[in-house]
Amino acid sequence: MRRCIYLLISVFIAVIMVACEEIIDVNLKVGDPKYVIDADLTSLSSEQVIRVTQTVPFNADIPSKPIENALVTVSDSRGRVFNFAYQGQGYYTVQNLALRKNITYNLSVNIDNELFEATSKLEDLVAIDSLGVIQETIFNEPYYFVLFKFNDPMDHPNYYRYSISVNGGPFRFSSAFSDKFNDGLLVTHQIANSDNSLAIGDSVVVRRQCISKEVYDYWNEIQFANPGNASPSNPKSNISNGAFGYFSTTATKEYGVRIQLL
Amino acid sequence: MPYFLVILISLFFSVSLIAQDKTTISGYVRNAASGEALIGAVVQIKGTQNATSTNSYGYYALQISGPNTELIVSFMGYQLLEQTIRVSENKRYNFELIVLDNQLEEVVVSAKRQNDNVTNAQMGAFNFSMEEVKNIPVVFGERDILKTIQLLPGIGKGGEGSSNFYVRGGGADQNLILLDEATVYNAAHLLGFFSTFNSDAIKDVELYKGGIPAQYGGRISSVMDINMVDGNNKKIAAEGGLGLIASRLKLEGPIVKDKGSFMVSGRRTYADLFLKLSNDETVNQSKLYFYDLNAKINYRFNDKNTLYASGYFGKDDLGYGDLFSFDWGNATATVRWNHIFNEKLFSNISLIYSDFTYNVNVSNDESDFTIASKIENFNLKEDLSYYADNKNILRFGLNILRQKISPASLNAGGESAVNSIDIESRSGIEAATYVSHEWKPSSWLSMIYGLRVTDFMVQGPGTFYDYDDDGDLIGEQSFDGGIVKHYFNLEPRLSLSVILSQEHSIKASYNRIVQNLHQLTNTTSSLPTDQYVVSSINIKPQYADQAALGYFRNFNNNAYEFSVEAYYKYMGNQIDFRNGADLQANKYLEGELLYGIGRSYGLEWYLRKSKGKLHGWISYTLARSERQFEQINGGDWYNARQDRTHDISVVSMYELSKKWSFGATFVYYTGNAITFPSGKYQMDGRTLFYYTERNGYRMPDYHRLDLSATYEPRKENKRFHSSWSFGFYNVYNRKNAYIIDFRENKQNTNVTEAYKIALFGIIPSVTWNFKF
Repeated sequence: MRRCIYLLISVFIAVIMVACEEIIDVNLKVGDPKYVIDADLTSLSSEQVIRVTQTVPFNADIPSKPIENALVTVSDSRGRVFNFAYQGQGYYTVQNLALRKNITYNLSVNIDNELFEATSKLEDLVAIDSLGVIQETIFNEPYYFVLFKFNDPMDHPNYYRYSISVNGGPFRFSSAFSDKFNDGLLVTHQIANSDNSLAIGDSVVVRRQCISKEVYDYWNEIQFANPGNASPSNPKSNISNGAFGYFSTTATKEYGVRIQLL
Repeated sequence: MPYFLVILISLFFSVSLIAQDKTTISGYVRNAASGEALIGAVVQIKGTQNATSTNSYGYYALQISGPNTELIVSFMGYQLLEQTIRVSENKRYNFELIVLDNQLEEVVVSAKRQNDNVTNAQMGAFNFSMEEVKNIPVVFGERDILKTIQLLPGIGKGGEGSSNFYVRGGGADQNLILLDEATVYNAAHLLGFFSTFNSDAIKDVELYKGGIPAQYGGRISSVMDINMVDGNNKKIAAEGGLGLIASRLKLEGPIVKDKGSFMVSGRRTYADLFLKLSNDETVNQSKLYFYDLNAKINYRFNDKNTLYASGYFGKDDLGYGDLFSFDWGNATATVRWNHIFNEKLFSNISLIYSDFTYNVNVSNDESDFTIASKIENFNLKEDLSYYADNKNILRFGLNILRQKISPASLNAGGESAVNSIDIESRSGIEAATYVSHEWKPSSWLSMIYGLRVTDFMVQGPGTFYDYDDDGDLIGEQSFDGGIVKHYFNLEPRLSLSVILSQEHSIKASYNRIVQNLHQLTNTTSSLPTDQYVVSSINIKPQYADQAALGYFRNFNNNAYEFSVEAYYKYMGNQIDFRNGADLQANKYLEGELLYGIGRSYGLEWYLRKSKGKLHGWISYTLARSERQFEQINGGDWYNARQDRTHDISVVSMYELSKKWSFGATFVYYTGNAITFPSGKYQMDGRTLFYYTERNGYRMPDYHRLDLSATYEPRKENKRFHSSWSFGFYNVYNRKNAYIIDFRENKQNTNVTEAYKIALFGIIPSVTWNFKF
């Protein structure tokens, strides 16, 4: 609903205003560097990847500064410990961590004796009924979306997250949903890349996850960040000690689709 | 409460006893041509400082001593009236003033008691009649009182095109906006580019930013009291205008000549006509307009009883095809009964209703639902003025206000892909009583002091939740009805003037005000969907303590008015949100709120020239406004978003001839405080921004020049008048930043860039106005 209203308002502003946009220089301060942990463990395979980086100044020509000397460990409630190995560019991997139901996982990242910790449980996937592609025309322009239809489980809060890879590119966050307004109903999610630029002939892979409330809150803050917000802030992390990022363990599925008119 | 009544009654009698037994004359001051009551007209005994001014119904009462008394009756823009009256007993005298043909003749009124700004005890107040502001240029050529008051010192502008304003560092929801005593919740059309006040229907505006008199309460930063035109009671008249964006029409006339009149005024925009030109079917079926309707009637039964009924209805409608629509609007209704018990005791009883609603309709293949929200109030007021003598006026009254908020609830159709959600409505009753004494103990001192006592009662039925410090639910209490909680408050008010001479004075004021209605806004523009809440068990009433000191000086036979005021304001129980707060259809909304304090202080300079061909004013404000919340910004003080170090307005009007007049307005202010990133990082392939401190940056400085010209051709006949208004908004086409945002570069997503969006470049406008 919030999104509907923002859409409407931006359409309104676009119609009535002769708004003009211009790239400018803003003299931004450099905040104290913060560690960033991107720990999205999935059920896709037993190989898991965690990225540890650090914030960089706004005008840096890299998006994040890789951290090379972190000790990254995941342990589970059965007492097994998985030590991640550094692969370069801030990426740490392990080969033998297959997520299991009813197990609690603990993340521990140690950087120069600073310890960052988080806990997560495997979230079940809600199966989809059907998959499709839809074209919508907004102000004479065609837009394409991948369509997921499924029955949302009743009387249980569910949260969904989608990332998308277009034509073999890297996976990027697309959108997150909650069932606040459609609990227990036949639900449709429309998925596109972040700038809604899917075109005929594109080959896309959509990754669907059911996530915890904390992870949903995290991504929901990011997706609704907009220039009209009076007080933007850093999304609330489920990792301790002031690190940015999140720790999530989910059942995950990928869906390959070609954008074409049916 | 009974204790308070005792004080009130004893004060009333003590003032009555002081009152000597002299003759009192009373009556109304009106416009000779239309019969319209004049508000704030001065009735003065010639050659003395004995004077009084008319109240908001045009009524005055003045004590005179001799059987032959020379009176002077004056009002800005009207010819001075001198009249000798012979009386030996209390008697009714009504006066009618004639409009000056042209501002050029302004010199004639030099005898008027124009140093009222110096001698009046009230400080921090401004008064405007619509007539005075007609030549001030505005965007799209629509005269707009809300845009005009933003040019005064201490009134922060809401940003490009916005109708929001920020008084002395307070929030936009801390201004009490009254239209014929009815609360207007949302004063903006088209998201703020127009205000809800159609200038044709407005007679007069009184604005208080400090030393707020005890008869007002409910908002902690300011009061804007707007009076609608009563209507011509002598003859039928019409007035209107055709503009590029909007057109207006007003009709007024007598119901019974000299006894009663009516006024109806309407306005509609037609921006959506441009959409019809589109060849896209969805677009050309889209809606984008607003309209306003103001109506008022009054009838004088006899010398002692007059009845007024007035109302406003306005609506904005936006829609995209039949897929989506969004409408919102205010409605107000006021019924007032003026009763004159005797020359000295004037009474008004008002019964007032007002509401604000919005509706969203979504209907497409997947879902079909409506969202509806409403806030409404019923208000019963009794206000009495006792004109004891020329040195003492006592005002006292009672007020019972019930407000009810029905937050956005979602109503889904049968086959819809969404569920209905119903959020409990909340209501509260505010009972208030006040007494205020306007007192001139000597020729060098005058003051207005008073006390307002309020009891806010949080009403059931409903479920009230308890939260811990993190906003997590820890308990709930259900109430079937009755009063859940009382908030009892004393609000002392004081404003005084030490008159050093007829040219200059020093004024001081103090007020405490309490506010029980709170608006939750987390966007930079005022959206109609911003939610309201009333004080509850968790939400405590906001309050402000404000003290101000000022120096007032007139020069050149009152041709120039100068003032400088310093103020300090402390604000308690201020509201903000937790990061990522969910404000939509959330029954645990109060768990998302944070409570803190605010302070603001500043210096305001004002120089006004009100006579001669060239007139206008310069205002300059140097100010600071800060907030402190334990959970925000590490608990340190931070700048409020509306904090502006410098704010300058220059308004000038020039009457070249009887045909041509010109206006120019220049504004400059420091950019708003804003939160920008101080770094970035990557997460799941996306660049995210790293924020360090709340409102630690500034938008670029804003400045703009507007020009206008009005051409009134020689009158072809007596009855029909017409004029052309031409305007240029933002003459030198400055691209003031409306939004500054940050994003990944499209070509190289590793790199980030900042961009700004400017809304308006230079905008010409033309309006044809007529009157007959």
